[in-house]
Amino acid sequence: MACNLSERTRAGIINPIFTCQPAGAQFASIGIKDCIGLVHGGQGCVMFVRLIFSQHFKESFELASSSVHEEGAVFGALKRVEEGVDVLLMRYPHVRVIPIISTCSTEIIGDDIDGVVVKLNEGLLKEKYADREVYLVPIHSPSFVGSMISGYDSAVRDIVKYFATKSDPNGKINLFTGWVNPGDVTALKHLLSEMDIEANLLFEIEEFDSPLMPDGQHVSHGETTVEDLRDTGNAFASIALNRYEGGKAAQYLEDELGIPATIGPTPIGIRNTDAFLQTLKKITGKPIPQALVKERGIAIDALTDLTHMFLAEKKVAIYGNPDLVIGLAQFCIDLEMKPMLLLLGDDNPNYARDPRILKLKEKVDWDMDIITNSDLFEMEDRIKNKGLDLDLILGHSKGRFTAIDYKIPMVRVGFPTYDRAGMYRHPVVGYAGAIWLAEQMANALFTDMEYKGEREWSLNVW
Amino acid sequence: MTRKIAIYGKGGIGKSTTTQNTAAAMAHFHGKKIFIHGCDPKADSTRLILGGKMQETLMDVLREQGAEKVTNDKVIKRGFEDIQCVESGGPEPGVGCAGRGVITAIDLMEQNKAYTEDLDFVFFDVLGDVVCGGFAMPIREGKAQEVYIVASGEMMAVYAANNICKGLVKYAKQSGVRLGGVICNSRKVDREQEFIEEFTASIGTQMIHFVPRDNIVQRAEFNKKTVTEFDETQNQALEYSELGRKIIDNQNFVIPKPLSMDQLESMVVKYGLAE
Repeated sequence: MACNLSERTRAGIINPIFTCQPAGAQFASIGIKDCIGLVHGGQGCVMFVRLIFSQHFKESFELASSSVHEEGAVFGALKRVEEGVDVLLMRYPHVRVIPIISTCSTEIIGDDIDGVVVKLNEGLLKEKYADREVYLVPIHSPSFVGSMISGYDSAVRDIVKYFATKSDPNGKINLFTGWVNPGDVTALKHLLSEMDIEANLLFEIEEFDSPLMPDGQHVSHGETTVEDLRDTGNAFASIALNRYEGGKAAQYLEDELGIPATIGPTPIGIRNTDAFLQTLKKITGKPIPQALVKERGIAIDALTDLTHMFLAEKKVAIYGNPDLVIGLAQFCIDLEMKPMLLLLGDDNPNYARDPRILKLKEKVDWDMDIITNSDLFEMEDRIKNKGLDLDLILGHSKGRFTAIDYKIPMVRVGFPTYDRAGMYRHPVVGYAGAIWLAEQMANALFTDMEYKGEREWSLNVW
Repeated sequence: MTRKIAIYGKGGIGKSTTTQNTAAAMAHFHGKKIFIHGCDPKADSTRLILGGKMQETLMDVLREQGAEKVTNDKVIKRGFEDIQCVESGGPEPGVGCAGRGVITAIDLMEQNKAYTEDLDFVFFDVLGDVVCGGFAMPIREGKAQEVYIVASGEMMAVYAANNICKGLVKYAKQSGVRLGGVICNSRKVDREQEFIEEFTASIGTQMIHFVPRDNIVQRAEFNKKTVTEFDETQNQALEYSELGRKIIDNQNFVIPKPLSMDQLESMVVKYGLAE
């Protein structure tokens, strides 16, 4: 009876949990204002990624492809990048930032995207766009390395590395949110404002929940500007909420510019949110206001109403982004639930050294498996053939068929979530996130009780 | 500051032999701190320095144990005069992508900060021709700033040198890489020195040194040693020392102007090598 961490041994991936590195780089790219990422590779590397962004947020995002074809693969395709940059600048007069994002094919053929940036800076940009301020940021994201998680992490680091400049201290902290939803950003901003702390948010993506305005079509994008990115060098501290999504950037700023970094824990659940506020208090010296103490109280009250009666002992499987999965598992344990299976979609060797996972291994006294480099077939196989008995699944939409086929209630959380309305609007972080998550889980169980006619009467007397 | 140098040239021309002998001489006679990164999948660029073929290449470690196990301790070996050596290694002929191997190997070494600042020279010894983007990795942005091409008076060696220059021109603008000269590794063909001098002058560079043919190189090689280590009193050791000195003092860095096929053909005819 213990928590075990192991890597998938079965050959092949069936129903992957993650997509690949360029997706992560593109997610970072859409967080920047006046920015269009140019993905150097085949068209599918953009098309399918744009599609899942649009499915998840139900909005349209701008991303471009250098559209490499056979002849580019043979002769080298940097010309397509040069043309692509030119076309983007002609077509979009507002564009200031073009991340140039490599993919498997262009990494294999050895296209030198760092070199082409130097060439374009010295050539095209000086000759044709001398009156414009344009930043080309090379981002290496071969798809056969890591996953969308490491792609996001590296891209955020590369972007920060490119822009961060030290000038005058800005009195702010850098807050690297990780791969989150607009609802999370709103919740984080609320906590910061209650603490009276000014933060440079990487990335400011609240606007991914975009309005439809009378003046017509809207293309969604983040609000983090070039100036904000430069200003990351002037913060007095950085916090990366997610170890694997933004941790590298915070570490870079600490190593190179001497800005102290706090990495994690992901503020999911009461305990982790408390830790986040304590970190804020420690680095700014500002007290935690009574208003937040009250919010915490409201959250605890909401959880108390649910935990013992409904959530306790419920067996859960969780899959998705590592920081999210670990945070959810910790929260579930605080709610007396039993995470049985955690699935992480890549093989990052750091998972084995993650202090949160080490702690789970030390504390958990039931059989709990954490599988890295895993897939959704693993969950299905265990349910179907290996006696895994689940009460609840937490994860993104790609696992919906297992929930449907085996009639297991499921709460949609993570990326991408496209089969439930408006999920991106709700936070999973902070006290608000704790309430939302616990109530979503409870309601999913209630619906299931009614549907299956199991103790549904108990809801009459609750 | 560390000078990073890439050595190119036709397959079989003696790049690895010249690189190792020159490096050994630079370390021994000129007291330079040197690192050799062999980028040939055959992994035989450091044999003479190490006194035998490298047992475990970087790619071997990567394949068998994963990227995180590629540590400097594991893949860097020290040989003659404390010269540090690493071999990229790569796939067997006919499978996989050796070019990608070169990219991955150099990336990993940079991540591991293997090219330390106390080094005077890092040599990248690159396979034969620049056949694909991967083999140009050593001359990309922020990597080797200097290239030397090993050639001889043989027609195909000069063709290859000219082709390498074409590749170099492509990267010169974006990465700032420059040609430092052509090393003539003599094959004792007629009017060899004159030919290489005319060729180098016409592409805008220099013949940095004429390394005469001497059987001592083969004898040393047979003993898994560079000439300097084998017998430093030999004239050939002094030739490599002189080449090393010229590289150390070199100021002549250019973007070459490769010849057209017609120009090259007529030059070859002129030196009577066409028949």
